[in-house]
Amino acid sequence: MNEILKLRTTRTPLFLLAAAQLVVIAGVSGLFVSGADLADPLTPLRAIAHAGLVSIFSLVLGIIAVAGEYRHKTITDTYLGTPRRGRVVLAKLGVYAIVGVVFGLVSAAVATGATALWMNGKGGTFDFGDPDLWSTVAGCVVWNACFAAIGVGIGALIRNLVAAVAAALAWIALIEGIVGQLLGDLGRWLPFRSGQALEDVPFPGIDLLPQWGGAIVLTAYAAIFALVAVSTTVRRDVS
Amino acid sequence: MTDVSIRGLTKHFGKVQAVTDLSFEVPSGRVTGFLGPNGAGKTTTLRMALGLIRPTSGEALIGGRHYADLDRPRQVVGALLEATGFHPGRRGRDHLRVLAQAAGVPAQRVEEVLNLVELTDSADRRVGGYSLGMRQRLGLASALLGDPRVLILDEPANGLDPAGISWLRGLLRELAAQGRAVVISSHVLSEVEQTADAIVIIHEGRLRYSGPLDGLDGESLESAFLTLTGAK
Repeated sequence: MNEILKLRTTRTPLFLLAAAQLVVIAGVSGLFVSGADLADPLTPLRAIAHAGLVSIFSLVLGIIAVAGEYRHKTITDTYLGTPRRGRVVLAKLGVYAIVGVVFGLVSAAVATGATALWMNGKGGTFDFGDPDLWSTVAGCVVWNACFAAIGVGIGALIRNLVAAVAAALAWIALIEGIVGQLLGDLGRWLPFRSGQALEDVPFPGIDLLPQWGGAIVLTAYAAIFALVAVSTTVRRDVS
Repeated sequence: MTDVSIRGLTKHFGKVQAVTDLSFEVPSGRVTGFLGPNGAGKTTTLRMALGLIRPTSGEALIGGRHYADLDRPRQVVGALLEATGFHPGRRGRDHLRVLAQAAGVPAQRVEEVLNLVELTDSADRRVGGYSLGMRQRLGLASALLGDPRVLILDEPANGLDPAGISWLRGLLRELAAQGRAVVISSHVLSEVEQTADAIVIIHEGRLRYSGPLDGLDGESLESAFLTLTGAK
């Protein structure tokens, strides 16, 4: 569990986790400040879904796990200690999926708490017993876990930290939208849309996979990225 | 009897021939100076020996095995490479703890090597605030962590002050006297002359000399080096 010690001995993960919580609180608050319909049963779900959107931070953390080692050249020591490089990537996949779960749980707790405060503060009611709510919470946690693992795969594939983070963010902010339009119905299978499917909240005008379908598709992306990386770029010379 | 055996090692980077059919032996119980001008292929050779760069042909064996096939590589080979890095936000001690854990070395050994390289007082500072000399000592501590029988050190004196260089010389002599194989690459010929028993000189990726320090026909190391590398 060497990866956990690596993670605990730098501050980056905590900074990312803290930044994600600010975004969650701001996002939830924004929804209520802009006059969300308190009577709509989807309103609390849409608010809590921000915990899924911040899986972008989990994605970046996963990318840093591998590409950050190349950037700081600690990868040399990592491979000297574990010359079977595939094992290094596999260990990172496992550990970062769990770290993604932790990120997802913290974010979901903060999002749920903030949503409850806003609902009650605005004179609405917040029902902790709503099963739809817990389905969304679970989906957000899984989205974070999958994106952290996908980040590990992307970091291993691209290895250049700046390029990998830029490519991942550009995909989410711009490219997936364009590709999605070109693909039509098939756009449901793209990574960010699969993440949205996990949240189990209907988005008007957006065609999504069922929740379990999103989980399977994202897991497949993580596996494919890692597999391609291990059989290509990870084998390359480290100099 | 663990030593390093370089056999017909060749590496092409695209059209560039970095190392060509290089063969030499590094015996145990000696300090071997690995010399060559900038770009001669020293670092590439050392990285091939450590499994970080895949040779185009030939092989590097450590105690008869490829690095990647060693069961506990850090207990066999300790390496300090020029481009070995540290996370700037990680504390010196934590850097060693990470390596020790991966190598299966007890945590107590971290304190031993910190003492050995005289870095204990700075061990709780983040590496980003270390001087070049302190980073070099941390790198040496990493190499020594597994108490290895083979040490491969790329420019180990880099960034050390005169007292540090003198200390390093004593340490390397002692490690060799314990029966370890020690390889140091360096540009500082006068330093190598005081430390090494055996010399390997390469130029443009090819072997120019491999043998004892006193086998250079009575020439000084500098004079022989310049002749062998075509600078004179």
